[in-house]
Amino acid sequence: MKSKLTRAGARDAHTLAGAYAMDAISGPDREQFERHLAGCAECAQEVASLLEATALLAAAAAEPMPAGLKDRVMTAAAATRQQPPADEAEAGPGARRQQARAARWLRSLAWPGRLALAAGTAAVAIVLAVAVVFGVSDGSMHQQLGQAQASSQQIAMVMTARDAVMMNGQVTGGGTATIVVSTSRHALVFTAQGLRALPSSRGYELWLIGPDGTRPAGMLPAGAGRMAGPVIASGLRQGDHLALTAEPAGGSGHPTTPMMLDVTL
Amino acid sequence: MTATGGPEPRDRARPGEATPAGVTRTGAAPAGDGPVTDLAAQLALVARGDTPAFDAVFEQLGPSVFGVVKRVIRDLAQAEEVTQEVLLEVWRTAAKFDASRGSPTAWVMMMAHRRAVDRVRSVQKESERERRTATADIPYDMVTEAVESSLDRERVRRCLNSLTELQRESVTLAYYRGYTYGQVASLLGVPTGTVKTRMHDALIRLRDCLGVGQ
Repeated sequence: MKSKLTRAGARDAHTLAGAYAMDAISGPDREQFERHLAGCAECAQEVASLLEATALLAAAAAEPMPAGLKDRVMTAAAATRQQPPADEAEAGPGARRQQARAARWLRSLAWPGRLALAAGTAAVAIVLAVAVVFGVSDGSMHQQLGQAQASSQQIAMVMTARDAVMMNGQVTGGGTATIVVSTSRHALVFTAQGLRALPSSRGYELWLIGPDGTRPAGMLPAGAGRMAGPVIASGLRQGDHLALTAEPAGGSGHPTTPMMLDVTL
Repeated sequence: MTATGGPEPRDRARPGEATPAGVTRTGAAPAGDGPVTDLAAQLALVARGDTPAFDAVFEQLGPSVFGVVKRVIRDLAQAEEVTQEVLLEVWRTAAKFDASRGSPTAWVMMMAHRRAVDRVRSVQKESERERRTATADIPYDMVTEAVESSLDRERVRRCLNSLTELQRESVTLAYYRGYTYGQVASLLGVPTGTVKTRMHDALIRLRDCLGVGQ
């Protein structure tokens, strides 16, 4: 739909292209301008061209990245589902040409180069472990991550933390728990595999047990099959243990059954 | 084909074909940015989950992302955090990149800058920001900063210096400090309308001076 802006209003909105390209525009203004952009091809083109200039302002500020940043991003990427592309039927010529270019580039790249890129850092082991734990092959995990972006970001924050540590524990009664803990983020990511199925009236609940007592740390999603989680538990304190019990499906305020898992964090 | 073009003509509109905006531009790759073709192609591979390609994109764009994010946020720990988020976002949304709408660099830097700005505006209380700034101060004014002989920096510096003082200040305060045009207006003591116009004129001049996006 064409904008209802008056001629003067349209001119005014057009002038905002500069401020918009520099994000020098606050919430309501930004939204209004984006609505305007949607109906003004000329403005969108102008913004796009101004963004090429601001990209150089960014490039001029480039500086070496802190050590470890790359490993953390690569680790997080391995645990992060990618968004699907637009449907092929709706893909524009740009996308198709881009694919063709990618194929050319792929063919041009010698194998030794790619292997060298892929190997050689200690992080590879972590990446692989994370990929296995967080189920590259597990559809439900991916689905959950896709659906809950906020949760996925929280999880990524823990996974990318400099001090992230992975631990495993055997669950009494069957199953294995894998936990990634970050002290600096005061949070952990919990997954479990092969847990015994519970009646629908009951569920698995996580607990943080510290010097100050026991706090509920969340229920595992009900009805999860082979793989439970990932669940993020935050508010970690020094000296906490992580425990798991079976509780009424709605959760309890404190554990009412024996602990099936006790991990010192 | 328009103008002089880059090493590789970017996707252009075919005559009579309905395309999104921004399709008449030719390669806008700045010197030193590496061949556009590679970066766009690498992004396409990233969209397929190709880790080595992501590694390559990371190497090429990571320092710019980190640099601009740090300039806006200033606090090192937070800048690292946002840099991670941005690069992870590149991984996550690589399939959404549309080469007909602009260069990969512009796409990534837009995400980086917006996230940095959103972070300082939403999360940080102003007082806290000032406190952090005091402890982790970084010279922000790239015009006066002693910069290395990077070609990009040199070009940008030269082009920034070709702006009027008000234009340059508006751009520097907005882009490198993350201020809104309203905040820039009150800092500089000029009407908001003037600042909006100056920002617009300044970016057009920069764009033309840098020879991109035309």
